[in-house]
Amino acid sequence: MPKDFEQIKRELEEAIKKGEKETASTLTQQALGQGVDPLDIVQKIMVPALTDVGQRFQNFEIYLPELMMAGDAAEKVTQLVEEITLARGETSMSQGTVILGQVEGDMHDIGRNILGTLLNSHGFKVLDLGRDVPASKFLEAAEKENADIIGLSALMTTTLPAQKRTINLFSEVGQRDEYYVIVGGGAVSPEWSEEIGADGYAPDAAGAVDLCKSLLQE
Amino acid sequence: MVSSNWLPTLVKRSERGPFMKESEFDLMLAKRVKALVELHGIAYDPDFIVPADDELADKIYQSAVDLIEEVGVYIQSTERRILFYKEEISEAVENAPSEVRLGEGKDTVIERHRSIGDLAPCCVHSGPTGTPISEEYHGVILQSCAQEPLVDCLGHGSVATYHGQPIISGSPLEILAAQRDAVQAREAIRRAGRPGMHIEDMAVPLTAAGKLSTFLPQIGLRPCDGLLVSQIPELKTNYDQLSRVAYLHSVGMHVVDLMTPLIGGLGGGAEGTAIVTVASHLLGILCYQASYHFVGHMSLQWSHNTGPMGLWIQAVTGQALARNTPIVSVNDLYTRAGLGTSQVLWEIAAGAMVGTVCGLHQHGTGATGGKMKDHASGLEARFQAEVADAVLGKDREEVNRFVLHCLEQYEGKLGEPDVGKPFPALYDLNTLEPEPEWLDPYHEVKDELNSMGLDFSRRAGEPKSI
Repeated sequence: MPKDFEQIKRELEEAIKKGEKETASTLTQQALGQGVDPLDIVQKIMVPALTDVGQRFQNFEIYLPELMMAGDAAEKVTQLVEEITLARGETSMSQGTVILGQVEGDMHDIGRNILGTLLNSHGFKVLDLGRDVPASKFLEAAEKENADIIGLSALMTTTLPAQKRTINLFSEVGQRDEYYVIVGGGAVSPEWSEEIGADGYAPDAAGAVDLCKSLLQE
Repeated sequence: MVSSNWLPTLVKRSERGPFMKESEFDLMLAKRVKALVELHGIAYDPDFIVPADDELADKIYQSAVDLIEEVGVYIQSTERRILFYKEEISEAVENAPSEVRLGEGKDTVIERHRSIGDLAPCCVHSGPTGTPISEEYHGVILQSCAQEPLVDCLGHGSVATYHGQPIISGSPLEILAAQRDAVQAREAIRRAGRPGMHIEDMAVPLTAAGKLSTFLPQIGLRPCDGLLVSQIPELKTNYDQLSRVAYLHSVGMHVVDLMTPLIGGLGGGAEGTAIVTVASHLLGILCYQASYHFVGHMSLQWSHNTGPMGLWIQAVTGQALARNTPIVSVNDLYTRAGLGTSQVLWEIAAGAMVGTVCGLHQHGTGATGGKMKDHASGLEARFQAEVADAVLGKDREEVNRFVLHCLEQYEGKLGEPDVGKPFPALYDLNTLEPEPEWLDPYHEVKDELNSMGLDFSRRAGEPKSI
């Protein structure tokens, strides 16, 4: 017997929050099979569920493993919804494309991983270039992916200059105005962000998500 | 594994161990830690920050051994796992050093394994722990720490410039700056009249080349000194770090095992992070053959470890290691508050008490979570050493009450801490003595601790047998 939307909403929200990827996948397929609008699955189910997860992570009520698993489940839902949307010839529902990476010399991961998970869960397409990324790789990825935002992370004071170097390269090749460039990481301050001409800074992952949203709404 | 051939064996296993994407390793580790917490019924209780529960300590140790045996150590360079047999883990732990000789000449200290409730004073490591320090004040900050009689070893700050120019990691500036700082540290201990004091690290360089360039026996670091070899959270390392290990052992320097398990990270809450922290010590034994270890866990939320969870993790980790290993481990305090405040002193007091009674030595202090520049001085190191001495002989139950009292003073301010002032605003730069603005809260907090029952009668400079 087909489930009504409220029941699907309740069960799918629960599955995403608990990080139950297989259950989330099955429920999404059922919902799509019953003709639920893919946009409703994203906007009325997934985004509220992940907003709740993100808020509880921010409040230290849940921890990174729960966030990762919820993100993993949400990614599966997004993938299924995107397949249907694109098969119908409709445009992607992505909020925008964000390139993330640790600038050259910086070998840290966790903060950037958290941001990637949160951005994904808020409907952004994320390409994570990983650690120790040379400036030219950011440029190359931005062009290839037609990115909207470049996120440069630096945890150490001695890797801050690489943020500046990366922004300078975008300026030198005349592509600085093509993308928003945001900076973050333990060593970064709002003053530094302003000094090197970034488009924004956020002190934590949740703030960075809000920053990305606000930049793309401009 | 415990042989002269251990590094080639590690490399062989790094090349041939099971391949796994890093994200899959993270997920596997997170799930396994969660299962171990449930299996052993390990529970964090904020009313018992210093649990007097040997069974809990042993469960955490056993969980850490199981974790290392099951997931291994992740080598980022090859995207493979090094796996260890349980017998290898036991053998390596049994053979790990139980005491290390640090420094040289009259300034030598022997840092020994401490047991729970050990009556021997803690060895005190000082210096700007992971804290950004300006080029201008670095030398005097180091000297202010080295001149404190209760300080035994000198740490190092992260200076971001070389003659005003930003230091770019991996560039020649990194080596020039690292060598400048090594010379400056040696000069600081000489000026303090303690030329043989152990220098534990040079924090500026991020590359192996930069770190190892500080080995300059005439003017910089010597075999009696050390350098940190880092782990990557959680339970990860790479060839760059292992190469440092190879070099340090070859020249007879101390390998200092630096771990930063993240509270709220892959280990989850306090219980899982405690297991990961103990397992990280096992990594430091198995892969680095470290002289001693820093318990550098910190909160993913605010980069501190003086909140209730951070203190509990320090307590149970220390106890687990004290009861089940012979190793030398050192706490590594990161506070929310900044210098010159009562809050930072209460945070340090809580951390110092926990470490002392739970089998650890002392290291302080990364004030403001290592975020704000020049928030380091000798006075908070003096305070940490005095508090550590004052709780010697106290049992875990009593220290738990003291720690809860300390927490009452600052727990509500962790969200918006007192940021205080940097070194030049708190020290007379001519005499290198703390100003009244910094001495006043120091005396006030000490008086209050004294009224709680802490005896500060052992005077600074009195010899101690560590």
